[in-house]
Amino acid sequence: MGGPSNNLKREELFFDRPAELFASSPPELRGKARDDVRLMVSSLKGTTHHAFTDLPDLLTPGDLLVVNESATLPASLPARGRLGNIRLNLSTKFSENLWAAEPRWSSEQPGPLPLQKDELLYIGESRALLFQPYPGIPRLWLMHFDAPASELMARYGEPIHYSHTPAYPIETYQTIFSRSPGSVEMPSAARPVTPRIRDALLGKGIGITGIILHAGVSSLEIETETVESQVLCPESFRVPFATANAVNSTHARGNRVIAVGTTVVRALETAWASDGLRACAGSTSLYVHPGIGVHALDGLLTGFHDPVTSHLAMLSAIAGIDCVKGAYAEAVQHRYLWHEFGDSHLILRKPTREAFNLMKYSANN
Amino acid sequence: MQIPDFAEAEVARLRNIALVTGAGRGLGRVLAVFLAGQEYDLVITARTRAELEEVATSIRRSGVRVSALPGDINDPGHRTRLLSETSRMGGVSLLVNNASDIGETPLPELAKASLERFRITLETNLVSPLALIQDALPQLQQTHGMVVNITSGASQAGYERWGIYGSSKAGLDLISKTLATELKPLGISVVAVDPGDMRTQMHQEAFSNEDISDRPLPEVTLPFWAWLTNQDPLVVSGKRYRAQGMLWEVPATT
Repeated sequence: MGGPSNNLKREELFFDRPAELFASSPPELRGKARDDVRLMVSSLKGTTHHAFTDLPDLLTPGDLLVVNESATLPASLPARGRLGNIRLNLSTKFSENLWAAEPRWSSEQPGPLPLQKDELLYIGESRALLFQPYPGIPRLWLMHFDAPASELMARYGEPIHYSHTPAYPIETYQTIFSRSPGSVEMPSAARPVTPRIRDALLGKGIGITGIILHAGVSSLEIETETVESQVLCPESFRVPFATANAVNSTHARGNRVIAVGTTVVRALETAWASDGLRACAGSTSLYVHPGIGVHALDGLLTGFHDPVTSHLAMLSAIAGIDCVKGAYAEAVQHRYLWHEFGDSHLILRKPTREAFNLMKYSANN
Repeated sequence: MQIPDFAEAEVARLRNIALVTGAGRGLGRVLAVFLAGQEYDLVITARTRAELEEVATSIRRSGVRVSALPGDINDPGHRTRLLSETSRMGGVSLLVNNASDIGETPLPELAKASLERFRITLETNLVSPLALIQDALPQLQQTHGMVVNITSGASQAGYERWGIYGSSKAGLDLISKTLATELKPLGISVVAVDPGDMRTQMHQEAFSNEDISDRPLPEVTLPFWAWLTNQDPLVVSGKRYRAQGMLWEVPATT
């Protein structure tokens, strides 16, 4: 638990962004290649501007990218009930019949809805019982389905999408690394990594390894006054032995470990022990914010995130709030595109991990 | 592929049956209601009959079978009745040792604690849970069942004045871990669960003059129960979980 000085206030994560700066469709549907997006690189040294295809040249042989191998499910279901036709976005699977889910007025219009305990929703001919609001996250409910959710998704589901985009075919939401279905929202950071970029990375001696973390519905705006008080839903994850070994040997060589996506940061930081990364599996609700910092990685490749979201708290944990604010101001000025189909941002931890740990160590002693 | 009829009949007969102690209020009540919602048949027990009846009534609405047997788990005759009932229903597959005794209140320093009262706490929190497990073994072996022992953060921390309650729970932690090893060959799993700080009557008794309204209600543990009851029991056996913790870990296999 951090002292008061560590507490980040939610208003520190506000920034202005013109509404037109978001990508409403993926580049491949705009007549471009998937990897034809821009890449901004930020560190305490400042910000530089590139094409995403420059990524292999921005890294050093021996560096390691860690990607999320979770694939995206069509987790948004049409439902009806006392309030009429609504939408039900599945979030966290406990079993085929037991989920945390978010009832919304529609894909475009969020809740919370005036629902009651023991109320029934209908999806096709199947029933879903709302048995408890999710503790600490009032817009989610624990729900029991009388049919396996995988069957409901196969029959009625579409990918979760929000007001800024329509629902595209499910393939749009997979990356070349997706192999284990379970995320309800696309782990989108690796979307622009095409086979040619992957091959260029590997050809240059930059490693790629994987974790699995099945992403739930993304947090809306942080609702609590201090960023650290926000509750996150547990997410199922796995950091395999081979990945833990690859990360540890990369650190030992003095190379950089780059997480590809915020989901990877959560998995790696959950699996971090004081002496390095360990193989680890289960369910994590770790919230990475400046009060706890990051230990397992030297940088994050991600998209551009909305104001006052938990993702921004994570970015601040990696590079510091000043670096993040500077980077986002520059991204607005250079008209980068926001959201999952938009441009990419590589944010690097400076000083280096080793120097940082040394500094922390001497400050504590 | 056609599944033979007898196999379907077997599956239909295999309903989950849970025995929850201390089910009249607080955590035990929340857990019993949750399990009923997941289609467990239930045997519930607590000392206060009126409270237990109320829980049974709300559970019956779920359409599952429920037997509410008021009594004291320190009474061997009562333990026998509980397990005869689970046996009659088909055999217990989930035994939750939740009933606990906070001991003297206000909580005493160890130097001044009543030893006579300490023995009662040990009996309720340590001896009787083991007795119930011993008596349930034949049923648990048949169902490849799981035992959940409710422990406490006080079992590890050395908080001032929590030494009586905490030491009984520390004993229960070790019983859980040892039993997990000893019972694995029988296909029986044992986990210990620390539910964390909650707004319950027992907690109010422990903090007799304090306002505990800032603590979450025991419903805060529901996501954990949803998770635990859907894990492979033998994979999680021997673990101690914090229901409000940020990591619920299973052994890494790859």
